[in-house]
Amino acid sequence: MGSVKRKSVEDPSEEFTSPLKQQRDNGFAGVDEPVACVHDVSYPEGYVPRSSNRDSAQEDSKAPKEFPFALDPFQLEAIKCLDTGESVMVSAHTSAGKTVVALYAIAMSLRNKQRVIYTSPIKALSNQKYREFKEEFSDVGLMTGDVTIDPNASCLVMTTEIWRSMQYKGSEVIREVAWIIFDEVHYMRDRERGVVWEESIVMAPKKSRFVFLSATVPNAKEFADWVAKVHRQPCHIVYTDYRPTPLQHYLFPSGGDGLYLVVDERGKFREDSFQKALNALVPASEGDRKRENGKWQKGLVGKAGEESDIFKMVKMIIQRQYDPVILFSFSKRECEFLAMQYYLVSDIDTSYSHNIQVSNMLPLLKRGIETFSIGLNMPAKTVVFTNVRKFDGDKFRWLSSGEYIQMSGRAGRRGIDERGVCILMVDEKLEPSTAKMMVKGSADCLNSAFHLSYNMLLNQMRSEEGDPENLLRNSFYQFQSDRAIPDLEKQAKHLEEERDSMLIEEEDSLENYYCLLQQFKSLKKDVRDIVLSPRYCLPFFQPGRLVSIQCTGDDDNAPYFSIEDRVTWGVIINFERVKGLSEDIIVLNGSYIVYYPDDANKKPEDANYTVDVLTRCSVRRDQVGRKTVKIVPLKEPGEPIVLSVPISQIDSLSSVRLVISKDLLPLEARENTLKKVSEVLSRFAKEGMPLLDPEEDMKTISGHFQVQSSSYRKAVRRIEALENLFEKHEIAKSPLIEQKLKVLHKKKELTAKIKSIKRAMRSSTVLAFKDELKARKRVLRRLGYASSDDVVELKGKVACEISSADELTLTELMFNGVLKEIEVEEMISLLSCLVWQEKLQDAQKPRDELELLFTQLQDTARRVAKVQLECKVQIDVENFVSSFRPDIMEAVYAWAKGSKFYEIMEISQVFEGSLIRAIRRLEEVLQQLIQAAKSIGETELEAKLEDAVSKIKRDIVFAASLYL
Amino acid sequence: MRGIQLSLNQTQRLRLQRALELLETLSSKASLNASVTVADNIPVNYEDGVLKGHGTTELDGEVVATVCGVVERVNKLVYVRALRARYKPEIGDIIVGRVIEVAPKRWRLEINFIQDAVLMLSSMTLPDGVQRRRTAVDELNMRSIFEENDVVCAEVRGFQHDGSLHLQARSQKYGKLERGQLLTIPPYLVKRRKQHFHHLEQYGVDLIIGCNGFIWVGERVEAKDDMVVDDHVNKSEQHSSKSRNWTSLEEQEQTYTPAETRQNICRIANAIRVLSTLGFNVTLDVIMETVYLSSSLNVEIHEMLGAEFCVLVAESEAERRSSSAKRKG
Repeated sequence: MGSVKRKSVEDPSEEFTSPLKQQRDNGFAGVDEPVACVHDVSYPEGYVPRSSNRDSAQEDSKAPKEFPFALDPFQLEAIKCLDTGESVMVSAHTSAGKTVVALYAIAMSLRNKQRVIYTSPIKALSNQKYREFKEEFSDVGLMTGDVTIDPNASCLVMTTEIWRSMQYKGSEVIREVAWIIFDEVHYMRDRERGVVWEESIVMAPKKSRFVFLSATVPNAKEFADWVAKVHRQPCHIVYTDYRPTPLQHYLFPSGGDGLYLVVDERGKFREDSFQKALNALVPASEGDRKRENGKWQKGLVGKAGEESDIFKMVKMIIQRQYDPVILFSFSKRECEFLAMQYYLVSDIDTSYSHNIQVSNMLPLLKRGIETFSIGLNMPAKTVVFTNVRKFDGDKFRWLSSGEYIQMSGRAGRRGIDERGVCILMVDEKLEPSTAKMMVKGSADCLNSAFHLSYNMLLNQMRSEEGDPENLLRNSFYQFQSDRAIPDLEKQAKHLEEERDSMLIEEEDSLENYYCLLQQFKSLKKDVRDIVLSPRYCLPFFQPGRLVSIQCTGDDDNAPYFSIEDRVTWGVIINFERVKGLSEDIIVLNGSYIVYYPDDANKKPEDANYTVDVLTRCSVRRDQVGRKTVKIVPLKEPGEPIVLSVPISQIDSLSSVRLVISKDLLPLEARENTLKKVSEVLSRFAKEGMPLLDPEEDMKTISGHFQVQSSSYRKAVRRIEALENLFEKHEIAKSPLIEQKLKVLHKKKELTAKIKSIKRAMRSSTVLAFKDELKARKRVLRRLGYASSDDVVELKGKVACEISSADELTLTELMFNGVLKEIEVEEMISLLSCLVWQEKLQDAQKPRDELELLFTQLQDTARRVAKVQLECKVQIDVENFVSSFRPDIMEAVYAWAKGSKFYEIMEISQVFEGSLIRAIRRLEEVLQQLIQAAKSIGETELEAKLEDAVSKIKRDIVFAASLYL
Repeated sequence: MRGIQLSLNQTQRLRLQRALELLETLSSKASLNASVTVADNIPVNYEDGVLKGHGTTELDGEVVATVCGVVERVNKLVYVRALRARYKPEIGDIIVGRVIEVAPKRWRLEINFIQDAVLMLSSMTLPDGVQRRRTAVDELNMRSIFEENDVVCAEVRGFQHDGSLHLQARSQKYGKLERGQLLTIPPYLVKRRKQHFHHLEQYGVDLIIGCNGFIWVGERVEAKDDMVVDDHVNKSEQHSSKSRNWTSLEEQEQTYTPAETRQNICRIANAIRVLSTLGFNVTLDVIMETVYLSSSLNVEIHEMLGAEFCVLVAESEAERRSSSAKRKG
């Protein structure tokens, strides 16, 4: 009692104002934003808030911790929850000061002689926090996979994975822990590891209370509701958008030479300056950019001797004294390159010296993003995003606004900088709307990424009260899908109402007509597919041939409902094979410029060939300066443009060919060619353009056509029959036929939508993953890991120990004696395949002996995968088999033989950071295997594995590092 | 028929012999062939690697058994499952033990293993589910939880680095066992199951079949709801220890066990004794079968240990197995 802080808590009127004032006094008077926070509580069902008399008793004791600075409202609010002994979720930006809440919880537990656990997603953060807490409280221990320091301390810092396995093993800590602090709990949405958080939270002791620290998530309330439900205790939510140092967002257009402020420190979006930035983009067509995949860095990194964009910018940053700076780059290759560049620069220009430290570290970051996006304490004044495309396991995607918010939060050091600066480098590939969304958008939702694993199942089955189904029932995934049901119901109801409100006259006959039309269209498409399959039509794509192509509709989504297609004519210039490129790009191709529209709905079958066609197009620039090109009929106004169209957009080929001029670069040349086209068209206006007859003209060249000619003829005959039907149809003459058909089409779409919603509802009412759980249990029985009444057998006990590699494959490998018969080095090398998942393009094959071992591994993996498939687990066998990579076998072999690190770096073409990570993970696997060997009583293998550990655990690879 | 210690008359001996012979023929032939004694060679295929598990060693390039038992093979792993061995703990086993010593921060338990097991105070969920605080008072109060000779149920947590075996009591259902009987049977008669806690509702009896061969038959104790929302986080230490004494007093008043329940306990316990004498696997099904048999034949509890009932049990078991074997065949 009596502390200033407590008083302010007691007085709610003061609570929101005083810290605010404080904040203003500290600096920037211009900030008018309220620093307030949102406070909410989730109560479990049937919970009666208890009387506060015990709280008053608590008030008598001194506050466990006092801070030398005034606390922000959200911190006060959260601490108040802690004082009443209730769980709290704090959702705020990085560096907003969530740690204060954690510190308070630790201090409180220590005062009450209770244990407290602090978990974080990565070792680096755990190490850092350990040091912080150790300084503050001294009774602190650390447990990560690598080190264990004072495991009996009252406050334990660990990674969430360790905490989970402690709960499975029933460590004594569980019974004593009063508070569990989950830092960066938004990690729960991580595809691979998120499930660990769910398991840990569900299994946490019922007596303990929680502190969840998370980035800003819009659905914090949902999360708290879940915790309240699972643990039957109230859970508070304290949410704030507040940033201690406001951020300014700038755009740096590639090729340009300036920064454009797009979001100011008050969070206001500046449209005008956003436009300016986009206009300053140097269009690539004016450069000499060639159309090559993945070569965009060229513009960024620049040629030797020339100043790259990044270089320019860093210089600018230093001139404006915006340093220190963190560069985010999502391509490792680029990281390496940049680091190299700065290294060179540093010799020349000493002003870069402070960058070296930052950039040097980059190659060591495997997942620079994750490491930085969490609360690792490495603030800088400026944050730069060199590229905002991120490789997401299987494809490139744009950074989501949530990730952007997280990472940009690194900018601005509290108490040092007045504001943080965040620079986004954009090139023309970035859609303005995407950029806008990223800078302005809201944080990502916290969604469950729950999935099952065999290790989890076995661990659950092994413990007496463990029940995997229970875990599923209590998972956040289940909670979210349960919660979605009323929403879905509402949606379905709404759609049904909408559908029923659509009244159409003569619906039956109209529907009949609609069906005919659909049939007609599909038949026509069939015919076209036959005629225009590349095999038949390629020989006819000679330059100068007239082709009819489909116009681009005004609204791509609205299908048109007439028998006539909207077509126009153009001249073929060339055709070519494409290599799966999907960007909006303009290429200078010898004598003419081709415009490649970014066509998202390009169908796979036309991925092979495109035809460059000269035709009339309307070109429009929308307000953000993005070009849209549409094919329009010849008579309409527009520019003559050579456009690359997929074969599917070609309607038919005529037998007419024009002589076209060699040089189509000048506008007049193209205009003239189009004029000629018009002339030809008018000449044939009466009898129609002579088309290439697929049977007569085309068969002479390709005999293959005969094969399909019967189906072709059948289709043609049916089309003719249908055309007759259309004419006779009673409704065909109705004046409003087109509108009516559109309405009907909409109605059909709605019906389909309702159906899919209902399906989703059905699937979420049953226990999520129930079928998968059954299938996986079947696998375990089939492979002899568990008996028919779910008792874990010997093999299962081994698999329980293995959590850092595929447990089934590794266990099978071990039981098949593969590890036993080979040399230690070979064994290490073989195990490296289980921890290395990156695909290398041109990795050299390992030597024969290792290759042989790898084949053995693949066989084992294939067998495991096949059993899974037979047990109806959804798995792609070949994909699974190829997820084991032999790429670093040689390097690891050499490392085990005692080579120096630089020597093994020469052997493999991988990045240092990745390799170090892999070897460290390999050591984890070996440790787990030692346990496994112990449990089956195979002492020789155990000794061998111990030997293996000592062989690889040395030098730089296991040097303590903050960044791994 | 390994010297069953029973005083049988001539007909009983014949009947028992016949029943046991029948059982022997029913047991799988494969396991007979695979049985080895100490120093027997175990035939393995050396071409591909062999993993030598428990109960084996390598002698002059041959795999040799170090115990008497049955050879088991899992893929390339060869190990010998001992026939009549001492209990060997595995992680997750449910065991029943007796406290033999209260030591600093820990209890020592006799669990029929080659060494005593350790149950740390910190591995123990306190009886009323109160969250533990790490204070010295707590240690001094250890005897209020378990004393010497208390029977305790716990789970095997694993071996520590120093080789000692640690136990834990994860939840409320573990802990002190009162008002019942502790039976000791050879541990190899207990097979690991998913469930080792059984609540026999019709008898009002709890049955805990410890993997270590200690079996508890006692009066049903309702598991306390450990999900009480109103916990005792802020209760002072003194207060909680006081309340513990209070509740134990209260319990003592309620310790009266109805005669019927006592009889049930005895009947079940005797059924287990009979099975153990005969060397049958002790599972819930077989125990219940034996109990039914005794009550349907109106065998008095004290008569259950007599030779006649023993022979009856052997016969009925032989019959049951042969009929189930026929059904399968």
